[in-house]
Amino acid sequence: MSFDPTDPAWRHRPRHRPQLSRRAFLRGGLWLGAGIGAAPLLASCNNAYPAVQSAGYPLARPNNPVRLPIRDSNPPIENGLEPETGGDFKILNYDAYMAPGIMKDFGDRHGVQVQVTPYSNYDEMLAKIRTPGESFDLVFPGPSVLSKMVYAELLQPMNHSYVPNLKNLWPEYQDPWYDRGARYTVPYTIYGTGVMYRADRVTSIPDNGYDLMWDEAYAGKVYLLDDLSEAIGMSLLRNHITKDINTGDPAFVQEATNSIIDLIGRVNVKTDVSAYSEVPEGTATIHQSWSGDPIAGQYYLPKGETPDVLGYWRPKDPKDRVIGSDNIAIPKSAAKPVLSHMMINDLLDNDIALRNFGWNGYQPPLNKLSARYLIDQGYIPENLMSAVVLPEDFDFGLTFYEVTPDIEALWRQFWAEFKAGG
Amino acid sequence: MGEQEDRHDRATRRLWPALALPGTFWLIALFLVPIYAVMAVAFSASINIFGEPVPAWNPLDWRYATFFDVVQASVTGPYQEVWIRTGVYCVVALVICVVVGFPVAYYTARLAGKRRGLILALILAPWWINYITRMLAWINLLQDDGYVNKTLGIFGIAPVDWLSGNSYTVVLALAYGYLPFFIIPLFASLDRIDQRLLEASRDLGSGSVRTFLRVTLPLSKMGLITALVITALPMAGDYYTNTLVSGSPKTNMIGNQIELFLLQGPLKHYGASLVLLLSLVLMFFMAYYLILTQRAGRDAQ
Amino acid sequence: MTSTAVTTRAEAKPAQAGKKRVAPWRNPWRRPYVLSTITWLYILWTTVPVLIAVQFSFNDGRSRSTWQGFSTQWYCCVEGSVGEDPSLLLALKNSLFLGGATVLVATPLGVALAMGLTRWRSRTSKVANGIAMVPLVTPEIVLGSALYVVMVNLYQFVPLGRPAMLLGHVTFSVSYVLVIVRSRLLSIGGDYEEAARDLGASPIQAIRTILIPLLMPSIFASAMIVFATSLDDFVVSQFLFGDASNITVPIKLYNAVRAAPTPALNALATLLLAGSFLALILAYVGLRAHRRGSRSPLDDLADYG
Repeated sequence: MSFDPTDPAWRHRPRHRPQLSRRAFLRGGLWLGAGIGAAPLLASCNNAYPAVQSAGYPLARPNNPVRLPIRDSNPPIENGLEPETGGDFKILNYDAYMAPGIMKDFGDRHGVQVQVTPYSNYDEMLAKIRTPGESFDLVFPGPSVLSKMVYAELLQPMNHSYVPNLKNLWPEYQDPWYDRGARYTVPYTIYGTGVMYRADRVTSIPDNGYDLMWDEAYAGKVYLLDDLSEAIGMSLLRNHITKDINTGDPAFVQEATNSIIDLIGRVNVKTDVSAYSEVPEGTATIHQSWSGDPIAGQYYLPKGETPDVLGYWRPKDPKDRVIGSDNIAIPKSAAKPVLSHMMINDLLDNDIALRNFGWNGYQPPLNKLSARYLIDQGYIPENLMSAVVLPEDFDFGLTFYEVTPDIEALWRQFWAEFKAGG
Repeated sequence: MGEQEDRHDRATRRLWPALALPGTFWLIALFLVPIYAVMAVAFSASINIFGEPVPAWNPLDWRYATFFDVVQASVTGPYQEVWIRTGVYCVVALVICVVVGFPVAYYTARLAGKRRGLILALILAPWWINYITRMLAWINLLQDDGYVNKTLGIFGIAPVDWLSGNSYTVVLALAYGYLPFFIIPLFASLDRIDQRLLEASRDLGSGSVRTFLRVTLPLSKMGLITALVITALPMAGDYYTNTLVSGSPKTNMIGNQIELFLLQGPLKHYGASLVLLLSLVLMFFMAYYLILTQRAGRDAQ
Repeated sequence: MTSTAVTTRAEAKPAQAGKKRVAPWRNPWRRPYVLSTITWLYILWTTVPVLIAVQFSFNDGRSRSTWQGFSTQWYCCVEGSVGEDPSLLLALKNSLFLGGATVLVATPLGVALAMGLTRWRSRTSKVANGIAMVPLVTPEIVLGSALYVVMVNLYQFVPLGRPAMLLGHVTFSVSYVLVIVRSRLLSIGGDYEEAARDLGASPIQAIRTILIPLLMPSIFASAMIVFATSLDDFVVSQFLFGDASNITVPIKLYNAVRAAPTPALNALATLLLAGSFLALILAYVGLRAHRRGSRSPLDDLADYG
C-alpha cells in the first residue's frame, strides 16, 4: 500500500492524536528514535525505516571488552615503508588540542604542511570524515564512536612496528576495553568532566557543584559544553535522575533535557567548547568543561592575572565523576599513513607528550608523566589540583560508551529540542 | 541581398540560444539539480549505519514521513517557536530597514546635489566590506568593556550584556547587516522617478508631504517591494548573525536548526526537510518578485 | 531605463520678486536638513564600527575592546599574528583566489547568458529567464545546503573544497551578472547591431565590435559585484569547504570569534578590506575609461534593480 498524498481518502484519515501537545510530540520523538525517523504520524503504510535496536556489532563496555576485527579488505600498511613527504598532512581534531609547535616541528622534519580541520563534537567529526573525496591522515575519536567507525571501515588498523613508544603507556591503555590489543587506536589524552569557574567571582561552591550552573547570580555568563552527551549526562547527574549516563530511558532523558532547557530562561545559557579561553578572559564565569581546560587556561589569562582566579570543581566521590579518553586513530583514507604512524609514535614520546600537555592541559596516560610528576614540574598549580586525573579514577568513574542507534537518535531528538530554544 | 539576409537571420536565430546555452546548462546542473537532491534526501527511504539518510533519486521511492514530522513539529511542536521567532525578527528588522533606509535612499537619489557621488560611494561602501567583518566590528563595540557600554557609563547607565542571548542585539544586527542590500535597489528605483512629475505635482499646488504620498511613493512602490523581497528572503535563512552576536539557543532562528541538522550530525533528512519547508514558505514571496520582474522586463522591452 | 537628470533645484530658492516669504517648513525647495542628517548618521553608523575594528588591529595587547597602544604586532610577527599563523594567510589567499576565479568564470557565462536570453524570443527563453533569477532571491542557506547535499551524494567526482566552492560561487554570481548586463542591453536596443549588419558584419563580428564595447561599463560593474559577493560569501563556503586548507576569511573569522579571538582577526579583516578596495579602485578606473554618456559609474553599479 503506497501513500498517495493526492488520494482524498488519505486526507480524511483520522489522526491518532488530535491535539499534538509537546509531550505527544516527544512521544512521537521516541517513535522516531525507535524507527530512526520512521513511524509517520500520519500513518503511511510504508515501513520506511525498520527499527534498529541493535547495532549489528558488539558494543564495547568496560565490563565487556571487545577486540575489533581486522578485515582483509582493510589491512594495515606493510612493514618498513619509507615516510611520505611533500604536500599537506591533514589532521581532524578539536580546535586548540595539539601544540602548534609540535605540529610545526613534525612538518619541518618530514617536509609536509600540517593542517588541522577543527570540529566541536563527534557529530561534526563524523560528518567531515565521511565526506566522499575527503581524506585525513589522523583523527581523534573517543570510545563512544570507535566501534562504529571501525565497522564502517573509516579507520585502518595500526602497524605497531612503527610505534615502539607504545611501551610508554599505562598498562591499562596498551590493552583498553574498547580496543583490545590496541589494534586501531592509541590513547591521546585522559580527562574528567566538571565545572570550571572564576574563583574571584564565585562566592561559594555548593556541595553539588553542578548547581553553580543553575545559579541565577551568574546569569549571562554560564556555558554548557556543546556536546550532547556531556550536557544531558551532566543534567542526569545533577538532578540525581540516574547514574547511568548512557541511559536509553526516554523519561529520564526527557527530564534531563527539560532541566537544561530551563537553563536557557534562567541563566541565558550558551554552548561551546572554549572554556580554556573564555573563563580566563572573563567572558564566562561558570563553564562546564573538561579537566584539561583549566590547566590550559593559564595560558589564556590576560596580562596581570594569576592562575588563582581559575577554579575547577568535580564530584567528591570518585564513583560520581565522569571520565573519558580521546584516542588517535588513522583514517582508512589517509594519504600519508606512514607519517601518521610516526606522528602517533611522536605523541607517545615522553618529552613531546610533556610539551603537548604544557600547551593543551590534558594529561597523556604515560607512565613517566604521573600526576605527581606534573605537579612537581610546576605544570599544575595548587588551586587546580582537582583537575588532575588519577589512574584510580578509571577504575570507578562513569564513562560514555557507544549505544545502540535508537538510543542515540533519542538523545539527538532531545538535543535538537534544546537547541531550538526549548 | 535577400539570400544573405536569410542566412544572417538564421545564423542570428541560432546564435542567441547558443550563447544562452552554457549559462542555462550551468544553472540547471548547479541550481535545479541540487534542489532536487535536497528533495531526494528529505524524502529518503532508508538510513545507513551512521544514521544518515540514503538519498532516493527515484520519485517513486520517496517517503514523506520525515517531512510530515518536521511539518508537525513546526506547526505544533518545538520548532513552532523557532519559526515565529524568525518571522518576528525579520519583520522588525525590515521595519527598521524601511524607516532608516527609505530616507537615506530618497536623499541620496534626489536631494544630495553636489555631494551625490561622495554619498553614493559611502553608501555602497558597506557592500564591499565583508559581512562578518562588519559584525565583528559591532561585537567589539558591544563587549562588556566595549565602547557602547563605556558610552552608556558616561550617562550613568549600567553596562548591558549585549552579547548573550539578547534578541534586541540580534534584530539590530540583522538590520545593520542587511540595510546596504536594502538601500541599493531602493535607491535605483527612486533615482529613476522623473523629476518633472514631482515638479508638476508641486506646480499644481500639492505640498511636499502630499507630493510624497501621492506621487513619489506609488512610483517607488516597485523598488520598495524589490528591496523588501531581496532583503527579507536571505534574512529569513540567516543563522550566522545569530551565532555571532548571541551564542544562546534562546535566539535561534530557523537557519540555525538547519545548520545543526545538516552540518553537525547525521540527521540530514531533517535538515533537508526544513530547507524544503523554508523554501515553500518563502516561495510565495519569491514568486511575487519574479512575476513583478518579468512584468517590468516586458514593460522595458 | 531612462536616465534622470540629477536635480540641483533643491539648493535653489526661487527668488521671485513680489512673492511673499514662505514659512521655512512649507518651502518645498528648502535644504533637506532632516533627511540629510539621517543619511549622514546612517553613514556614520555603518562605517565607524569598521574603522574602529581597523584601529584595534593595531592594538598593542590582546584585547579587541580596550586600547592599549599602537603596534603592528598582529600583522607581524608575534605568535598568532597574520604573519606567524599560516592559517590566517591561507584564508586570505583562498578568499582572493576564489574571488578572482569566480569573476573569470561567472562574467563571461553571465554576459553570454544575458545576450542570449534578451535577444532570443521564445517561451524557452522566458522559462530560462525565470530560472536564472531565482538564485537572486534564494536564501543562501537553501543554496548552500542544496549544493552540499548534491556534492556529497551525486557529484562525488567534485571534491569538496576549492572546486566545489568555485562552482557554488559562480552559481549565485551568474544571476547578478545577468541582471546588470541585461538591463543595459535592453536600454541599448538592437539598432547598433542592425546598422553593423547592414554594413556587412556577421552577427559574431557585430557582437564583438559593437555590442561588447557598449556593454563594457556593465561588464565591469558586474565583475566588481561578483568579486565583492564572492569575497563576502559565508554560507555557501561554509557548507562546501571540506577541510582546513580551503578555509576562506569569512569562515576563519566566524570560527575564531567563537573560540579565542585576538586582534589578529581584526588584522585579517583589514587586509581583506584592503584587497577588496584595491579591486574596487581598479575597476572604478576601468569603468571611467569606458564611460559612455553622463551617467556616473557609481550609478551603473547601483543600478542593478
